Amino acid sequence: MGGFSGFGGLILNATICAAITLSALAFAWTLHTQDPDPKSKNAPSLKALIAFWVVVAIAFLITFVRVTAAFFGYPDLDVLCYYLAAVPLGFLPVPLVFFIVYVATGDKRSAWTMSLLFTVFGTMYLLFLLPSEIVGPDVTYWATTITSESDFALTIYLSALFIVPTAMIIALLGSILARKPSKRSQYRVALTLVAISLVFDFILVDAVAIDCVMQVAARIFVLISVVLAFLAYHPPERLQERLRIQEIAGCEVDD
Amino acid sequence: MSRIDVLREQEVAAYFQSLGINQGPGDIQYRLIVLVLASNEGGVTQFSDIRTYTDRIADRGSVASKLKTVFLLDGLAERVQRGGYVVTDKGLAAARFIQESGKFYKRSTKIAAIIERMP
Repeated sequence: MGGFSGFGGLILNATICAAITLSALAFAWTLHTQDPDPKSKNAPSLKALIAFWVVVAIAFLITFVRVTAAFFGYPDLDVLCYYLAAVPLGFLPVPLVFFIVYVATGDKRSAWTMSLLFTVFGTMYLLFLLPSEIVGPDVTYWATTITSESDFALTIYLSALFIVPTAMIIALLGSILARKPSKRSQYRVALTLVAISLVFDFILVDAVAIDCVMQVAARIFVLISVVLAFLAYHPPERLQERLRIQEIAGCEVDD
Repeated sequence: MSRIDVLREQEVAAYFQSLGINQGPGDIQYRLIVLVLASNEGGVTQFSDIRTYTDRIADRGSVASKLKTVFLLDGLAERVQRGGYVVTDKGLAAARFIQESGKFYKRSTKIAAIIERMP
């Protein structure tokens, strides 16, 4: 156990991963308890959003195990968890793309088609990644890094799995805000989409990070983004008052 | 003369009525008459041309009354022969406003639908 003191940063890294897992799961649970009418128009997008946060939680749960394994000096488990975490990360854009396409068009068939396309991209990414040579694990004070030698996997990961969904989120956000809905809607839509976009982008930074401190920093930002997403649905009273987005309800009064 | 979608115009008018706007954009007769007049710019619009569209939603008497009390009185159209009208510049401005109101309806309903689909 004496050698562990040299990897104190790994404990912080693992704690951040655990915090992301718990907060993403808690957020998914609060979304689940909204319990909308199954026939309501937002039911499919709600399910997709819950699926997205659950996939984020699973990815970071595996990453937590991986960092913990690195801390205790189990490189084989570290490598195994690297490959296992690649599965939820490869399919992370699938529920997200369904969510964006369904919200933008209202057409479930288009949303399923786009999701299927991203499932194919995710599968291709895994097919290139799994048999490829890897460099590492390189365990440092802050992080454990493994680099894949497959250029194809990296190209698919960057171009198809991340850049396209991010562009779709920004386009949806722009098109909604340009039409000036109510302040309350603007707040919820903007914060939700920005939080999703940040989570998504910092997961990308995390995945391609070569510098170990960059990995920890990216995970801190993922955690902050999950909190932002939570705030989108449960804004504090003070913030509601300041932004003038509080719901004012009252009973009818006689004249 | 370009085609005018009466059902869509009814939808748009109903939307504006739901906002408490019962005149102008919220008045289906006004919408149809001004759009028929504008689509026939540079020519004479016969009363029968207007009735082609309005017969489904209003009786002849009320359309004639609207033409007289709103369009002729406010100078949106001029009567040039028995049952024949030409649109004026004011009438064309009114038609543009009504067309814009159609675009506003499209934008508003689209954003409302997107917000409704957001969880």
